Amino acid sequence: MANKRSTNGGIERIYVWQLPVRLTHWLIFFSIIVLSATGYYIGHPFISVSGPARDHFVMGTARAVHLYAAIVFTLSAAVRIYWMFAGNAYARLTQLVPLAGERLGNLWQTALFYSFIRRHPEAYPGHNALAGAFYALVFVIYLAMVATGLALYTVVAAAGSPFRAFDFLVPLFYGLQMARLIHHIGMWFLLIFAVAHVYFVLLSSITERIGTVDSMFSGYKFLPRRRAGAR
Amino acid sequence: MSYHRLSDELEYRGISRRDFLGFCASMAAVLGLPEGAGRAIAAAVENEPKPILIWLEFQDCAGNTESFLRASHPTVADLILDSISLNYHETLMAAAGSQAEDALAQTVRDNAGKYIALVEGSVPTGANGAYCTIGGRSALHIAREVCGAAAATIAVGTCAAFGGIPAARPNPTGALSVGDAVPDVKNLINMSACPANAENITALIVYYMTLKRWPPLDQYRRPLFAYGKAIHDNCERRAHFDAGQYVEAWGDEAHRHGHCLYKMGCKGPATSQNCPVVRWNEGTNWPIGCGHPCIGCAEPNFWDTMTPFYRRLPDVAGFSVGEWVDPVGLGLAGVTTAAVVAHGVGMAVRRRVGEGASKEDESEVE
Repeated sequence: MANKRSTNGGIERIYVWQLPVRLTHWLIFFSIIVLSATGYYIGHPFISVSGPARDHFVMGTARAVHLYAAIVFTLSAAVRIYWMFAGNAYARLTQLVPLAGERLGNLWQTALFYSFIRRHPEAYPGHNALAGAFYALVFVIYLAMVATGLALYTVVAAAGSPFRAFDFLVPLFYGLQMARLIHHIGMWFLLIFAVAHVYFVLLSSITERIGTVDSMFSGYKFLPRRRAGAR
Repeated sequence: MSYHRLSDELEYRGISRRDFLGFCASMAAVLGLPEGAGRAIAAAVENEPKPILIWLEFQDCAGNTESFLRASHPTVADLILDSISLNYHETLMAAAGSQAEDALAQTVRDNAGKYIALVEGSVPTGANGAYCTIGGRSALHIAREVCGAAAATIAVGTCAAFGGIPAARPNPTGALSVGDAVPDVKNLINMSACPANAENITALIVYYMTLKRWPPLDQYRRPLFAYGKAIHDNCERRAHFDAGQYVEAWGDEAHRHGHCLYKMGCKGPATSQNCPVVRWNEGTNWPIGCGHPCIGCAEPNFWDTMTPFYRRLPDVAGFSVGEWVDPVGLGLAGVTTAAVVAHGVGMAVRRRVGEGASKEDESEVE
């Protein structure tokens, strides 16, 4: 890790987000935007067209875009989950599920900061523990979205399609209609999370001043040397 | 106990050779078999001994029997399935009382392991089976005895296949499907739908007579020839779905033009059956064809998960979750946005207020 850290005076430059983390983050971001927009239209087709049906393909286009975006989303989420086991210390599962005492302490301190009780955040190069715990929940929702999406797809997959093999998922959700309902609820969870996520990232960026927003493009964060070394 | 062949009866019944071959060709079409298969079916149906059938009715409305009596080729189909009325069928048989029950017992005894049981209706298990008794015996008792000794059991209709309406929440009678009520049943085939399509049941029996085996099944033990594709994928209104042309209200212009019923709650996208192809009442029409959305009657738990019939999403435990999920989700997203903005304002105010005390802050961080 020595070559991944460089110091300049009292500031240390740390390589936090590896390329797979950043790449999957933005692919998941864009695919969720596309999936939500097309998904909302599929659930509530608010555009109505007139004239012969052969002249239009609005729902067909929405569904096609939704399915291709779902492929991008599923593969990105799968790579990110793999990277929870193969990536650097900041990408690992232990950063998401707060089990270690240090992480639980950080979770509590972060909650105190957000509640206006603690005046300054406890700076940490990776995810703070509270954010990590929410990301763990988000990945559970990702899995639910992929599973319900696959279940809904089995019924329209072409005969002989390998996707038909996922039809065992349908009874697990008590039928396609319940899978559809869960798919709707999951979308709102993710959109609500996105609002809070953007806010807390901006908050962190402003209060911690360690380059939180920039780091999701460059991979680097900048911490005062003593804080960086503290972990 | 008729082991006689069909060819002996055709002429006697006044059925022409042409009608008979037409029937065999239509069966081949329902089964999705190629053109020449009609001849193989004709040879099998003519020359093979007719299977012995027993039709049991439990917690049902006799709707499958009604539908079946109106099979689109009643003369030939009646002939193939004649053994039903000869041996046992509560609605159709002439015998009554102990005479009828003796006929059932004798058929089961004499043909153990050889006959095919067709079951209509769910099997109630509550109150020790008291909700449905025939001749003093519970439906569960009869089902286990008759289906347990059958070469195959065909669950006709959604009640027999999946419990259907009697098993819908809160399931007051403890109704079970035949498969659940008789765990050791052999060669169970579920012909769901409310009612099951008579064409499909006839085709299933013809398939068995021709090929001496049962057709490939899906995960709910339904034959793929009848339940292998979503209604949505064979729907005549599919072009309007893909285009984005939807009925918004009963009788509106889109409805009169035959546009897609998706927004009226059509469950075609969640239901697998060959209704759009085989249709009903001698191929006259089918629900979507006459302007009504599919209600998903062929699927497990259909009464609990396909209702409300005229909305896209289901209710959960009696609450209109499906109706409210998207407005509530949108509202919560708005509340979240307002909350983070308020939190941000709070943080900004605090930073400004706290500027004077920044020295002590630094020491806290250090």
